[in-house]
Amino acid sequence: MKSEILYPGAFPMVRVYLNEGETVKAESGAMVAASPTIDIESKMEGGFLGALSRKMLSGEKFFFQTLRASRGAGEVLLAPTVPGEIVLLDLDGVNEYMVQKDGFLAGTEGVKIESKMQSLTRGLLGGEGFFILRIGGTGRLILNSFGAIHKIELKPNEEYIVDNSHLVAWTSTTTYNIEKASSGWIASLTSGEGLVCRFRGPGVVYIQSRNPGSFGNWIRQFIPVSE
Amino acid sequence: MTSIPNALCFGDGLPGAGAPCHVTVSADGLIMVPVGTSPLVEAAIAFTAMSVEAGGLDHDQLVVSWGVGASVRTLYLKDPALILAFRHAAPSVLMAHLERAAEQVRRVRHSHRALWGSAVGVVVGLGLLLWFGADLIVEWAVARIPVEWEQKLGETVYQDFLSKEPVIKEGPAVSAVQEMTQRMAAKIPNNPYTFQVSVVQSPVVNAFALPGGYVVVFTGLMKKAESGEEVAGVLSHELNHVLQRHGMERIVKMMGLAAVVSILVGDQQGLIGLARQLGLELATLKFGREQETEADVTGIRLLSDARIAPDGMIRFFERLSEKDKERVELFSSHPMSAARAERLKAELAALPKQTPEPFTFEWKGVQDSLGVSEAKK
Repeated sequence: MKSEILYPGAFPMVRVYLNEGETVKAESGAMVAASPTIDIESKMEGGFLGALSRKMLSGEKFFFQTLRASRGAGEVLLAPTVPGEIVLLDLDGVNEYMVQKDGFLAGTEGVKIESKMQSLTRGLLGGEGFFILRIGGTGRLILNSFGAIHKIELKPNEEYIVDNSHLVAWTSTTTYNIEKASSGWIASLTSGEGLVCRFRGPGVVYIQSRNPGSFGNWIRQFIPVSE
Repeated sequence: MTSIPNALCFGDGLPGAGAPCHVTVSADGLIMVPVGTSPLVEAAIAFTAMSVEAGGLDHDQLVVSWGVGASVRTLYLKDPALILAFRHAAPSVLMAHLERAAEQVRRVRHSHRALWGSAVGVVVGLGLLLWFGADLIVEWAVARIPVEWEQKLGETVYQDFLSKEPVIKEGPAVSAVQEMTQRMAAKIPNNPYTFQVSVVQSPVVNAFALPGGYVVVFTGLMKKAESGEEVAGVLSHELNHVLQRHGMERIVKMMGLAAVVSILVGDQQGLIGLARQLGLELATLKFGREQETEADVTGIRLLSDARIAPDGMIRFFERLSEKDKERVELFSSHPMSAARAERLKAELAALPKQTPEPFTFEWKGVQDSLGVSEAKK
């Protein structure tokens, strides 16, 4: 199985080549086009309850779609909903990524996805909700972002501060704490940053160059209000 | 060598996400073999040269560090079996470190669990408070309602009701209920209410009292009663609903939080507006069993104080229990008329004996004025 990013930049697509019998698991609705040898199955990862909990708790899509090359080799084109870059990550069985909801685009067979409950403070204040996706296993993981994806590499005990709504994914060797952006609450709110995450290495943090929530607020002013 | 990695190694010159490697526990340390293409070189790390701690997002990984300066390497172990093997093989000097690390993990887990537990506890506690403490909250809120509000509220509904019903303006029936009410009202200490009683032409065997002291008696009740004392018993019961503010309690319960908030912020118009939305439901308010019992007990005491023969009230209940199948409407919400009569008898026995004073009217004449004799023919 091979995969490559087409049209890198704001409007990319991923081309995944599948040998006969291979599968790729994608966010529901992510498929753009596929060879006629590819079958689309809707599969509830982790069984019905697992899927339900993922849907209810992390707000992720209830179903993943599984694209299977059941009648011979073929290719699949996948794309995310929002404009933004795509990143390909290789999982070797030992590295694990925490992915905020909406960050997952696709994963090959062997990639394991589960919902993980965050601690109370992280859940309340982190901006990703109480549940995030923990993705491990082996294979290729495809993440998408809103805007460009930026990779931050942290050495052991090296720290970095990230506005929580710009988070896409981070390795499980990385810890983080939520804190106020400025020393005072008023300054934190008026600076427009509110709460930030202080990450501590070692590991990698992927952030997106645009904030979906802020973009939503900005675009709302142009939507005519119908009475 | 094996190609399945079970640990990640971090350090200068290594990938940011960590270099995958395979770690095994030997007698005197760890042996690390890089997996795949990586600048990492195979190494044996003696227990004496390393330090350990807990790390990772959930503090469930074993972090092993060694070296100095730019050559510091940090290894993250996650596999539980590997961590267990390490703990068995490690010397006691390092074990102290390890135990501290494990203790740290337990503490973090414990504090997380405690935090979740207390959050759940607070939610459950609030739920229980609302569920079981609702009555207390209602009582507390009702105690804060000024009597003038109650009167305004009751009067609004009273006038609405009377404007649609055939009211008997004068005559023996009206003077009879007024006499009963006055005699009882005179015996209520610190009575903040001015009772107003109306007689309404209706076959319904019922009487009701609105908050603020507005009482309606239906002619059906007066025709059914065998004596003035029986009607006075029902009236006494209703007056006590008013005095105990049972109506307000029911209203506040029905309107819930909105009512409590209006009371808190002193929004009289808001409360009356809310109550008006309920409209005549007020008139048919169903009281709870506890409220009924309270009104019964205080009702019979009031009768006794006013020197109105209290056995009229008891007899009325007894006759109701005989005819329970007929389901007289007044008591349809409480089928235990016989039990109520028994309770009232016990209550009456405990009261000081009073010599009853008869009413100035003759009950037969009152009933005749309502046309009972013709109805019986």
